[in-house]
Amino acid sequence: MQRATHCVFRHGSVRAFYPLSAGNVPAAINRGNSSLLCRKYTVLPPPRDKEEKAMLDSMLRVDHAGEYGANRIYAGQMAVLGRTQSGPLIQNMWDQEKMHLQKFNEILGENRVRPTLLLPLWNVAGFLLGASTALLGKEGAMACTVAVEESISEHYNSQIRALMEADPERYTELLQLIKEFRDDELEHHDTGLEHDAESVPGYLLLKTVIQAGCKAAIYMSQRI
Amino acid sequence: MAALIRSLRAVRSLRGLGSVVSQTCPAPQYNGLRRGFHRAALLRLADDPKSDPTVPPPSHHEHYRAQESREGSSSSSSSSSSTGQASASDPGTQHEDPQLNTSYQDQSGEQAEDYETEEQLQTRILTAALEFVPQHGWTVDAIAAGAETVGLSAASAGMFDNGAGDLVLHFVGQCNVQLADILAEQHNKVQLGQAEKKKTAEFLRDAVETRLRMLIPYIDTWPQAMSVLLLPHNIPDSLKHLSTLVDDIWYYAGDRSTDLNWYTRRAALTGIYNTTELVMVQDSSPDFEDTWAFLDNRIQDVVNMANTAKQVQLTGEAVVQGLMGAAVTLKNISGVNQRR
Repeated sequence: MQRATHCVFRHGSVRAFYPLSAGNVPAAINRGNSSLLCRKYTVLPPPRDKEEKAMLDSMLRVDHAGEYGANRIYAGQMAVLGRTQSGPLIQNMWDQEKMHLQKFNEILGENRVRPTLLLPLWNVAGFLLGASTALLGKEGAMACTVAVEESISEHYNSQIRALMEADPERYTELLQLIKEFRDDELEHHDTGLEHDAESVPGYLLLKTVIQAGCKAAIYMSQRI
Repeated sequence: MAALIRSLRAVRSLRGLGSVVSQTCPAPQYNGLRRGFHRAALLRLADDPKSDPTVPPPSHHEHYRAQESREGSSSSSSSSSSTGQASASDPGTQHEDPQLNTSYQDQSGEQAEDYETEEQLQTRILTAALEFVPQHGWTVDAIAAGAETVGLSAASAGMFDNGAGDLVLHFVGQCNVQLADILAEQHNKVQLGQAEKKKTAEFLRDAVETRLRMLIPYIDTWPQAMSVLLLPHNIPDSLKHLSTLVDDIWYYAGDRSTDLNWYTRRAALTGIYNTTELVMVQDSSPDFEDTWAFLDNRIQDVVNMANTAKQVQLTGEAVVQGLMGAAVTLKNISGVNQRR
């Protein structure tokens, strides 16, 4: 009960205390004010007991790790293909991922969610994945994007399902946020397909391997 | 009250012997009896606020009584104060049965007027037991003495199957909650502009000192408490308390990091807190000055380490930039960059 009081208190008061930096949002991506990316109030309801807090913590932890990993994957792709023709395309997608990551950083900070201990691992692994698939050429990079974005969308969908089953009204804002992000990831997925992802040799093998890796990463980040 | 129950029990067991053949289905009678007693206890508590302080809370007693109750059609009338209530309570109180056992979800006591859960009772006993710790140490004896203060028999210390562990963990939890409240209040004041925001090192120092000062009344027996906390079956709980404490302190110090820093900061503060606690336990200087000096030095060490780490990182980045510059210069000089 003390914890619940604390949480309510925190949600009310932490706003002024924590200087939310809006300076990193790139001007290229301009969203309307209705997007949750621009609104700066709390997205989560104050947890009513330990089980709910644990469930929400684990969901946010893995989402944060996912966006962090996606960020690093695009960074790896840009390191190799940054100066080619597909540079601006990848840069665009990277900027959107940066915004997602920033939003999750805010949510984690406000709600005292522990980030996953495996972040350095995802840092290196993501960059290597992005760079190595980009070395296969633009199609390789697109194939990697397709595989990863498909995994992430599936993961967001299962989270949406879980929240809807639990209590859609309580989690309306969180649901809206996850749906928005899922739609962005699906857009990236479609972009990848449009830009000849399937024409890379060994597409199915590459896609299966990458998706298996993503599933393992999601499983581990939820727990560790 | 206890004597009344004992006599009623005797009467009923005699009746039970006589009416074994005429037993009806046990369940409704059993329930009716429990509900009847519950109502009686509530009415008693509601009507008689200055009642005999030895009235035990209903949950404890009901358990006792429910185990004892033997069926007989006349048994429901044996509880003198519940004669009118047993029949009246049958239709309406079905919902109270599931709440008779310990409820871990609702400790707010809103279930019924003056109805106390087992956990609330345990908390009361343990809080009372803390007074007797200087005398009995962190043992079941202190809990027994506390139980007597609250109005129960010393044997109710048997309710705590972890014994001394329960007492120490309760105390630690209580101190952590107090610290969190103090920090929240300070945070509030800073936000309202009534107080200055402290620098991180000073904030950490003050928070750890506040928390350690809560140990001062029990400092003589604290080594015993620490050894209790180190028992294998207590370790998970004590680690949880410690991690909550450290997380609270860093949160109010302003840490919102979402990377590996989250872990390194908490690990550093855990180290500082544990070592300072150990120093405090064997410190004999007036008002523990040596301990606070030690704490200052440790915090200074951590701050220096953090600064050094930042310097190393900046230097590393500068070196990398320098090397890249040199590489580009070499490429230009050797003509690799030009197209002919």
